[in-house]
Amino acid sequence: MAEKLEDLNLPLTVVTRIVKEALPEGATISKEARTGLAKAASVFVLYVTSAATNIVKNKKRKALTGQDVLDAMKDIEFDRFIEPLGESFEQYKLAVSARKSGAGKKKDEEEVETIEDE
Amino acid sequence: MTMPKAERDLHLPLSRVKTIMKSSPDVEAVGPEPLYLVTKVTELFVTDLAKRAHQKTKGNLLEYKHIAEIVQDDDTLDFLREIMPKKITVRQFKEIMARKAAKNNRSDDESSEEESSEEDSTEESSSDNNAD
Repeated sequence: MAEKLEDLNLPLTVVTRIVKEALPEGATISKEARTGLAKAASVFVLYVTSAATNIVKNKKRKALTGQDVLDAMKDIEFDRFIEPLGESFEQYKLAVSARKSGAGKKKDEEEVETIEDE
Repeated sequence: MTMPKAERDLHLPLSRVKTIMKSSPDVEAVGPEPLYLVTKVTELFVTDLAKRAHQKTKGNLLEYKHIAEIVQDDDTLDFLREIMPKKITVRQFKEIMARKAAKNNRSDDESSEEESSEEDSTEESSSDNNAD
């Protein structure tokens, strides 16, 4: 587990972008505030992960699922995120299956070609 | 490497979030779905916290202290309290020390040892949060 310390931090530029989008135009943020939010975000990732992992362990499973993350929101009292998160999740799943069905067709064609070559 | 369409609404880099998740004990496989959700909810969290902190500002400048105040007042943000302490100015620190010294002088024991007041010394100039 040889992560460099900076690998456990989220990039400040990206966090700044998220913050700027959250605030009204013309709002300014001190560097200390941005750094603080970036660190808070990293800690939050760990916090959610830990809560979701607890759920998985209690259910005697190993791999985290999307539902585990959603359920973890209740445990850590971030119920207010469940709805928007659920909606994004639906969009995400649609996009993934759209991508798969597009890629799927291609794959089938390639397999057919390979067989014919042999 | 182009970002796949499905994750295009995200800002945070998935690989970095995955690294952080995997540093957590007991985490085994992290598939794309939980990775997406953790990344997404972290963005929601940052947005939410930034907006709330901004409401605390009088002008338009969001400062660390606004965030620290929210963290200290909201119990659901307990997990952040250690990394985001409220900070005091050097002047406030000196006032606290002066008050403590006065208290010690009033008591019969005149030899007031200098306390190592690490808990009070969260001066703005020596904050851990600046150690980047």
